[in-house]
Amino acid sequence: MTALTTRAAPNLELSSRERFARWRRRHRQPFEAWLILGPILAYYSFFFIFPVVANVFVSLTRWTGVYDRPIWVGLENYRKYLEPPYPLTLFNTLLFTVTILSISTALAFLIAVLLNEKVIGRGLYRAMWYIPTLTSAAITSQVMFAFISPYDGVFNAVLKALGQKIVIWTLRPGWMRTFVIGYSVWRGVGTPVVLFLAALQGIHPEIYEAAMVDGADYWRLLRYITVPLLRPMVIFVLITGTIAGFQIFETVMLITAGGQANVASTGGPHGMTNVMLLQIYKDAFVSSNLGRAAAGSVITAIILLWFTTTNMRIMSRGQVER
Amino acid sequence: MRRSLSLGRAVIYFILIFGSLGMSFPMLYGIVGSFCDFADFAARPWFPMPTKLYLENYTILFTPRFTSAVQTWLWIRNTLIRIIWYICITGTIAVLAGYVFARLEFRGRNTAFLYLLSSMMIPGIVFWIPTYVIMARWPGVGGNDWTGQGGKGLVDSWPALLITGWVNVYYIFLLRQTFYSIPLDFEEAARVDGASTLRVLKDVYLPMLKPTLTVLVIFQFVTFWNDYQWPLIVSSGNREIWTLALGFQKMLFVGASAKGLVGTAVIDYPFSFAMAVVATAPLIVLFMGLQSYFVEGVQGFALKG
Repeated sequence: MTALTTRAAPNLELSSRERFARWRRRHRQPFEAWLILGPILAYYSFFFIFPVVANVFVSLTRWTGVYDRPIWVGLENYRKYLEPPYPLTLFNTLLFTVTILSISTALAFLIAVLLNEKVIGRGLYRAMWYIPTLTSAAITSQVMFAFISPYDGVFNAVLKALGQKIVIWTLRPGWMRTFVIGYSVWRGVGTPVVLFLAALQGIHPEIYEAAMVDGADYWRLLRYITVPLLRPMVIFVLITGTIAGFQIFETVMLITAGGQANVASTGGPHGMTNVMLLQIYKDAFVSSNLGRAAAGSVITAIILLWFTTTNMRIMSRGQVER
Repeated sequence: MRRSLSLGRAVIYFILIFGSLGMSFPMLYGIVGSFCDFADFAARPWFPMPTKLYLENYTILFTPRFTSAVQTWLWIRNTLIRIIWYICITGTIAVLAGYVFARLEFRGRNTAFLYLLSSMMIPGIVFWIPTYVIMARWPGVGGNDWTGQGGKGLVDSWPALLITGWVNVYYIFLLRQTFYSIPLDFEEAARVDGASTLRVLKDVYLPMLKPTLTVLVIFQFVTFWNDYQWPLIVSSGNREIWTLALGFQKMLFVGASAKGLVGTAVIDYPFSFAMAVVATAPLIVLFMGLQSYFVEGVQGFALKG
């Protein structure tokens, strides 16, 4: 009884402020953690989580313009995605993603393996491969029109100088797709080169030496040591590359814009290079069809989420096997 | 054996040199082309050669003669404001959150971290429309009443360019990993001397975080120097707040009209090259000066992420 009072007594004498200070000292870590995290999580919820949830609701409405009232239409926006032009935009997105990614991964692998040989001026080569990545996609893809313009572009000027017939590039879907792919590889290959080179330099030379003692030649070393050890990095490049590839937008918009400000006509000829994000952008900010655009972004997100999770599962399974 | 080896090296150098030149060709072409007038440019389209010192393309971009249209200095200033703002805000948040997740014990830590990570899986496109609506319907500003009706809200105004994207999960992740790599002893020593958390962060950790923060600074610099999509969506209507990438993208026809070719559909290619050079040169200088940090940053996202 006495012990209880003596222990409780100092607490009673303390002012509430002091008691708070004590509590704070005892719970310093959780207190500070939530003091810092609280505002960050609140901001994050408002600008990252709320938009994602809101987007799903918007996609279920017909909403023409920010100031109108959204009307509930259920899955109508999603049904519309089975009609033109949407299947073509999905096809083009897949086409671009697959071609750009496979070309740039293979190319980056080759260049990184070559750079990993003891070459003179490695830093310079690496810089030359990486610098295109730094350029502004908006500005350089627009400048690309200087080359492909059918009237006064460089390619046709060269053809004329060589005495060939000129090509109206902008009316040829195949050529326009090639230009988009070529430009994207040019601008995107630098990052995988740097990544593969870093991964290669992380491989211990002893591994190669041991294999060479066992009589392995260059190609065997490449096949049985380099490629397997680079696998995690290749998978990383493929996943991030797919996510980036699916979001191809301003490149297509500005290469096919032909220097015009008219966004509605981009993705040509006849929508043959139109991609999902460009169509979403057009739906939202040209046709003011926010519901349709939101449905498009939900579809894009679902495809990407499915892809990423599948890949990660495959990747982790591979690690368990090894 | 020796001969085949040196042959192999010759092939390596051949591929590397020509490949690298091929990668640089568009940029070399653009740099040279930007110093050409129409005649020089048209004379040798496969690789233009200026026959005289011709700087008109750059003069148009940088002189106030055409202020009504080309406001390069203003756009550079706007871009730099955004860069500095975003470096400060994402840097501060990343350091604080990185510290919290690496060093403090509290219930719900993993849940909170996963909550933050969850947005990494979601493509940026999903945020466009709702965030645009949030901007347009922001209550009480830009002619909006308290329900967010009536005006433009934050669209076409500065806050719209500064209010999004403060929390960057990549950098929080990167900072957390850096904190893990620093031994606890430094903090404990400072704590014994009675230092508060902010003091520990400022005096003990900040000097040691410098390499990681340099990576953050240069990647935020590149990102916001080139940022185009969000300014396009949210600030197209107000050229006073355009960023460099957006301003230049909209200026394609100005060159020809500034040179007196009014009313033609001619695009002044040498002028557009000059724009690309101006927009890219600072980043290349930055890259050349801090190449190792760029490499480290690119790897950081892959190896640690």
